[in-house]
Amino acid sequence: MTRVRVLMSLAAVAVGIGLWLALTAPPDALQGEYARLLGIHPPTMWVAFLAFGVTAFSSIMWLIKKTDRWDRLASASVEVGVVFTAVGLFTGMVWGQAVWGTPWDWQDPRLMSTLVMFFVYIGYLALRNAVDDPTVRARRSAILGAVAVVQVPLVYFSVNMFRTLHQTQSIRPDGSSMPDEMLMAMLVNMVAFTLLYVALVAARIDVAKVEAEMLPEGAVAGEAVRPPRLSEVEDV
Amino acid sequence: MSETIVVVGTYLISYTLIVGYAVYLHVRRRRATR
Repeated sequence: MTRVRVLMSLAAVAVGIGLWLALTAPPDALQGEYARLLGIHPPTMWVAFLAFGVTAFSSIMWLIKKTDRWDRLASASVEVGVVFTAVGLFTGMVWGQAVWGTPWDWQDPRLMSTLVMFFVYIGYLALRNAVDDPTVRARRSAILGAVAVVQVPLVYFSVNMFRTLHQTQSIRPDGSSMPDEMLMAMLVNMVAFTLLYVALVAARIDVAKVEAEMLPEGAVAGEAVRPPRLSEVEDV
Repeated sequence: MSETIVVVGTYLISYTLIVGYAVYLHVRRRRATR
C-alpha cells in the first residue's frame, strides 16, 4: 500500500500545481474565464485515451501470455479510463454551454464518438461482472479490450475528418493556438493527471489482488450468490 | 463573477468525482482485508 500512497501524494502535489496555474492564467479575450476549463478538459481526455491504449496493450499481452497481471492491468485501466471520460464529458459540456451556447449536439461526430466510446467501455466493465469464471472473463474482456481501442483514433481525429462544432487540436506540429500561460497549465495538468492515472491504476490493481487472495482455494467469484435450483431442493 | 463560479464549480465537481473514486477503492480494499 505504501507504493500507492507515494504515487497518490506525488499526483496530489502535481494536480495542485496544475490547478493553481490554470486558475491564475490571464482570462482569454474571447472565452473569458471559461478558457480555464482547458486546464482540465483536454488532460482528462488524454488520460482516457492513454487508459484505453494501455488496456488494449494489456489485453493483447494477456492473449499471448495468459497471466493474471495483464488481465488485472487491463481491467483497472478501463475503470480509471471510464472515470476520466466521465469527467472529460462533463467539463466539455460546461465549456460547450459557455462557448458554443449548447452543452451537447447529437449530430456532432466528436461528441457522439466520445459518448459511444464511453458506453463501450462501460459495457466492458459490465461484461467482466457478467462472467464468473476468471479465465473465460479474462479471455472475453481481452478480446473486447483489444478491439475497442479502434475508437480512440476515431475520436481523436474526428475533428479533422468531419465537420464538427469541436475545434481541431490546440497543439499541432506548426505550433499552439493557445496563450503560453494556459498552454503551460494544460501541459502541467496532463503530466499531473497521468501521475493520478498511474496512482489510481496501482490502487485498483492492489484491490483486485487483495480480493483474489481472500477467495477460498479454487473458488470462483460469484459462486456464493448462485440462486438455488429446483432440482437441488429435496424437502419441498 | 458568475463565470468564475462556474469554472471553480466545474473543477470542484470534477475533482470530487476523481477523489470519490479513490476513496471508493480505499474502502473496498479495507473491506476485503477485514
